[in-house]
Amino acid sequence: MNAIEIVNLRKNYGKITALNNMSLDVPEGTIYGLVGPNGSGKTTLIKALVGSLRPGSGSVKVLGLDPLKDKWKLRKQIGYMPQSAALYDDLSARNNILFFGKAQNVAELHKKVDDILAFAELTNRANDKVSTFSGGMKKRVSLCCALVHDPKIIFLDEPTAAVDPHLKMQSWILFRKLALRGVTIFVSTHQMDEVMLCDKVTLLLNGEILAVDTPQNILQLGKTTLKIVVNKTENNTVIDSTAKGLADELKKSGLDATISSVELHADTIEDIILSMLCEKEKEARQ
Amino acid sequence: MRHTFIIARRVLAQLKGDRRFLALSILAPLLIIYFLKLLFDTFPPFVDVKSYTMPVSAFIVHFMSLILCAILLVQERTKGTLERMMIGGFSKTSIIGGYTLGYLGLATVQAITVLAETIWLFHLTYHAGTVLLLFIVIWLLAIVSVMLGIFISTFAKHEAQVFPFIPLIILPSVFLTGLIIKPDGLPIWAEIIGKCLPLHYAVNIIHEITKPGYLVSATFVDFGILSGYIVGLLVLASLSLKETE
Repeated sequence: MNAIEIVNLRKNYGKITALNNMSLDVPEGTIYGLVGPNGSGKTTLIKALVGSLRPGSGSVKVLGLDPLKDKWKLRKQIGYMPQSAALYDDLSARNNILFFGKAQNVAELHKKVDDILAFAELTNRANDKVSTFSGGMKKRVSLCCALVHDPKIIFLDEPTAAVDPHLKMQSWILFRKLALRGVTIFVSTHQMDEVMLCDKVTLLLNGEILAVDTPQNILQLGKTTLKIVVNKTENNTVIDSTAKGLADELKKSGLDATISSVELHADTIEDIILSMLCEKEKEARQ
Repeated sequence: MRHTFIIARRVLAQLKGDRRFLALSILAPLLIIYFLKLLFDTFPPFVDVKSYTMPVSAFIVHFMSLILCAILLVQERTKGTLERMMIGGFSKTSIIGGYTLGYLGLATVQAITVLAETIWLFHLTYHAGTVLLLFIVIWLLAIVSVMLGIFISTFAKHEAQVFPFIPLIILPSVFLTGLIIKPDGLPIWAEIIGKCLPLHYAVNIIHEITKPGYLVSATFVDFGILSGYIVGLLVLASLSLKETE
């Protein structure tokens, strides 16, 4: 069962194409990553999915519902964390979360808010005005506002930008726990280390889908470079990323006693995605 | 209705939290009225300044409520909280209603303090009934101003875009609604523009009820039109407040 179904989605801002004929399915209970550089259409796509943007053409279904026609049914079931903190600076963290929780008629709201503040490690600052918070802390409060009503699907637009590594990892542990409970997480990011934490990713560039795959499969698209130094002469060879490939290459060198070092450089997910983006941009220029 | 009250409570809590804004919203009109007193004191004795004081005080409340409400709602849009409220389950009507109710608290305080200061500073002697009617007209005008502020905010993408509305709405209100000169001396087209502005009806009522031996019934039409503005602007603001880009 798909949590999100997008068919031929298109959105133009004047002459600029923000989303170009995009089709995508997101299975329920997965952590689905949307990866791409600034201006690739990540936020536009999320806005179309939460119903705050009217697409030019194409169709969108979230939990089987149209984000515009069935907005009232859908809004009870989705959580949304925009790119900016979108909080009331003159209210405390607790009152911000309470405000958005009240809109959704959350049962035992005060207990729920206490729990979520504890998760975000904000209990000590719960009653302080948000205006006194750092950017990372504001992101945490914003995440709490998106989660307070236990939504079935959560749209997170760069949720861990400007968040410290400790909380970032904690957030991802929570996302995984939520996904195991059947909650779908649709998350946009440009942090490549986060790509590996997703179940599936869509790579976006200039409003177009460049690739849709699991991070593991994308990783296999990478190459491994074997660097052998013989008598201070470097010899770099691209091999396939298997143990056999490495053995074959070493055999070719005859396991010479003069080999002073062997280094392997495997492409990271960041290398692979960046090279895919660069190739696509080169193609577009040609 | 529940959502309307939730938003109104949030607006009030926000106002309470921003003490500088709150103090400015209440003290600034009082200070302007004091400056008005200093100005009127320089006029020769044959000028009937008392007939100008109450309409100008009403105008100050109108101006402050309109601009402050418009700017704050535009801030909601630029910060993303307006979008978040809508996706979070609040309807457009509850947002407009909540804002109006929330700012009504502030507008009521403004109306009371401005009225009290004007009566005290200018030594105006009115019956209790007249003072009550003056309060009602200033208060109604404040509601209209909040609605107009919400309506204006839908055309502005950021705070600076609110300011072009000052010459568009505020300045014609000064010149064409009877605040300074009687509008019947104006060219017909200018008189029509003046009659389209809500301040015209508030000024009419104030002029009427500050006359000796006035009849309340003579103000019914103007009160009706001023109330009609509230309904009309509520509809217009609901239509113009966009949920989607």
